[in-house]
Amino acid sequence: MDSLFILGIIALTSLVAYFWGTRGFGLRRERLTQATIEVLECLGLAVVFLVGNLAAGVALTLGLRALTGRFISIYWLNDISVLALSLLQALVLHSWLRRSN
Amino acid sequence: MRSLRWFGLIAFILFVVAAFTPLANLLNVRMAGIADVGPSDAIVVMGRGGADTDGVLTNRSLRRVFRGISLYEGSHAPLLVLSGSADEVRSRMALARGLGVPETAILTVSHAHTTREEAEQLGKLLLPLGRRRILLVADPIDMPRSRALMERGGFVVRPAPTAASGPSNPESRLGLVRDIAIELTAWAYYRLTGAL
Repeated sequence: MDSLFILGIIALTSLVAYFWGTRGFGLRRERLTQATIEVLECLGLAVVFLVGNLAAGVALTLGLRALTGRFISIYWLNDISVLALSLLQALVLHSWLRRSN
Repeated sequence: MRSLRWFGLIAFILFVVAAFTPLANLLNVRMAGIADVGPSDAIVVMGRGGADTDGVLTNRSLRRVFRGISLYEGSHAPLLVLSGSADEVRSRMALARGLGVPETAILTVSHAHTTREEAEQLGKLLLPLGRRRILLVADPIDMPRSRALMERGGFVVRPAPTAASGPSNPESRLGLVRDIAIELTAWAYYRLTGAL
């Protein structure tokens, strides 16, 4: 029930945003597909950054364990901030790429 | 850029499936396996999540210790073995004693950093005492790896997982999927390094 509630709210505000965009700001409907594709590219870039950050974190943790003999927990990487920061990295790089093109 | 779009689409689909369908719950139940509660030499409560700075056990740790105490009160084994970090074990022990488990019936293991070390230390503690048949208390997603490590260490394991169905709201399901991914990665790592 909570899933349906959340999805319902998102669908409603998405519809409102669509009408606001097309009627209020004069956005063209044909550009929505291209905008969606760009969002997916950004999301894909975020996945690449997330995998990269996790791989770097694991390699550093295991390397430091081997070099120092001290236990360092891999669970330090188990934090929502890694996901959020990966998304931020992707947004910056995606904007940079678009401007460069 | 085309491959990025596919990554993004797959990520979005996985997010929707993970958050808004019961897939995580089904995986949770499957990983728990079938509980096998019966007469045993000891109840082993694996460490998980530790304790907060004020000494309060985390939700996961609390669920496990309650499960262990409940099994002890059901007379399924004469010994309750509490494992985890030093703070976690201290808090678990205080809770068990507060709920009526006598100190003489409690053993502890508190110097392990990993599940593998935990299994080794439990082996050193219990096997010399002849306590081979154990009721193993762990979360559903942790049960396969914990059980495999304990069996490899020489124990006969009767799984006694904590609640199997898991959460039902999107945020908790996403957390569960994250934990499942971590557990599967740990499993793969242990297989690669020969621990399993």
